[in-house]
Amino acid sequence: MSLLKIHNVSKYYLQGEIKVHALSNINLDFRRSEFAALVGPSGSGKTTLLNLIGGLDTPTSGDIHLNRTNLTDLNEQALSQFRLFQIGFIFQAYNLVPVLSALENVELVMVLQNRPASERHERALHYLHLVGLDDMTHRRPSALSGGQQQRVAVARALAAGPKLVLADEPTANLDSENASALLDIMHKLAIEEQTTFLFSTHDIRVMERAKRIITLKDGQIESDNAN
Amino acid sequence: MTISTTPLPLSTFVMLAWRNLWRHRRRTIITLVSIALGFGLAVFSIGLQDSGHNNMVKNAINMGDGHITLQEKDYLASPANYRYIAEGKNLLQKLTQLKINGKLIPRITLQVLASTANNSVGVRLQGINPNNDPLRSLLNKYVKQGQWVNNADNRGLIIGSGMAKKLKVKIGSKIIIITGKKGGDSESHLGRVQGIFQSGIAELDKYLIISGLAFSRKFLVAEGAQQDKEPLTRIAIFLDDAKTIQSVKTLLKKNNPYPKVSVLDWQEMMPQLVQYIVIDDISAYIMQVFILLVILFGIVNTVLMSILERTREFGLLRALGLKRQYLVLLILIETLLLSLLAVACGWLVGGSIHWYVATYGIDFTSLIPEGTSFAGTFMDPVIYSELSAKRVIQLTSIIFLTTLISGIYPAIKASRIQPIEALKT
Repeated sequence: MSLLKIHNVSKYYLQGEIKVHALSNINLDFRRSEFAALVGPSGSGKTTLLNLIGGLDTPTSGDIHLNRTNLTDLNEQALSQFRLFQIGFIFQAYNLVPVLSALENVELVMVLQNRPASERHERALHYLHLVGLDDMTHRRPSALSGGQQQRVAVARALAAGPKLVLADEPTANLDSENASALLDIMHKLAIEEQTTFLFSTHDIRVMERAKRIITLKDGQIESDNAN
Repeated sequence: MTISTTPLPLSTFVMLAWRNLWRHRRRTIITLVSIALGFGLAVFSIGLQDSGHNNMVKNAINMGDGHITLQEKDYLASPANYRYIAEGKNLLQKLTQLKINGKLIPRITLQVLASTANNSVGVRLQGINPNNDPLRSLLNKYVKQGQWVNNADNRGLIIGSGMAKKLKVKIGSKIIIITGKKGGDSESHLGRVQGIFQSGIAELDKYLIISGLAFSRKFLVAEGAQQDKEPLTRIAIFLDDAKTIQSVKTLLKKNNPYPKVSVLDWQEMMPQLVQYIVIDDISAYIMQVFILLVILFGIVNTVLMSILERTREFGLLRALGLKRQYLVLLILIETLLLSLLAVACGWLVGGSIHWYVATYGIDFTSLIPEGTSFAGTFMDPVIYSELSAKRVIQLTSIIFLTTLISGIYPAIKASRIQPIEALKT
């Protein structure tokens, strides 16, 4: 069954009086547990598409259905709530709240979800264990390496129990070893947690591991292939 | 999708806000120090000013006619020697029965002409009970020649040094006291200088003559009053507790058997002093507003800066699902915590200064020689800081609200952050 359905989505911006097409007539369908990558050169529309799927931006036309909810029907408050429960985010860098420890960062989204303290604590510890950070739970981001910080972000994204995790160039700032380890973790969790992962990336390592690669060019889908 | 409407745990926001506050420790400390210094300055100046006002009022009440005065109803608007309380004895007895916590002091105040062979001066004759009138404790220490009068001294007068000089009199000299009567005639009685005081207050030294009640009463009898009814021009009430003025005044008004006698508090008796204090307070408030504005801009700057540098973080929080109103709440809690710290630091500095000045005082002797008068009352050269509970609450509220209000604009600005734009920064 389809988890995410993108139907005829277009997005354009106005730069002065010039209309810039960021995305044109995008149609995509994602199932549960997919591990997919959006690739393409800079300016091809990868991040714009991720922002639209994540409810951070609204399409100029078309519909986005996630878990049977049409995102284009939701107002700002509802979108905020939708993101909280349905979507996990992993950004390229500066993903964590610097004044919170790794454990507190993972708990934060669950706090916003109003989960009971014991449950969120237990889940946070569990996911930090899954990403291999059992002994660093009380460290603040400044005391963690870039790779470790991204792992915390993965734990935070998954601990909230989303259906979809959107990762915008998650390995861009990581060395080879850390990038590989992070991708292993995400791939494993995508299967175990039945969560769909959608990356925007330039990273060949991500592309190698992705099970589906969607190539964007000039705001349009150039190819959509199983890997 | 279910939309949660349960409020988020406040403790999380408080914890987050507290840590955010200390993210730039030095900046927070500098902000707090500037607030504390501004607040300390305000406490110091208000404490001195209040103390100055309180002393002036206290001295004015002691030198004047007490906390509450009963006198003929038209006397205040148009003082004249024929405006007296005919039933002085009776009124005093009735007031005594009310068991007011304080002293009931009978007085006869008259505008007279003091005349000697050398000169004549228009003066105020104050007839008092020389044994228990507060004027005794106030002026006896300034008697430089002779001695204080007593009840038996039917003609004994105490005058100021300035008047003695004008009239060219010394101890034992005779002074003729003359009043004009209502019908146009005059009444005169002979008095004898028994003491000369030098208070340093020109109004007293040049224009006040003190006598026993019996001597002054002769002039009221000449106006038609009956001697056996012990007429007076006023009864001054010196309360043990100044806070009871309004309740005692109400009690007196309720139990006043003479419609021609009015009950006035010190503020009604000395409107110029009240006016002076009000004007002085206004100038002080203007200065305090400037201090608070400096504090306000300091805090707005600090909070705004801390928000601008966290734009990306706020974008992240909004992207994760934090609603706008919770972002506003977070900033307001940060400001609230800053306010609480500001109040604490402010009181630490301001309170310490106040404690020191309240305990040891500041000696202004070089600027204010002893006996200096101001607005017709004594001005103590050593000034002690005084802060009432009302002032403490007022100052705390002002600093607290100022700090809190200063967080509103940054909070609104933070709430307008669009996650997609913020995450690009």
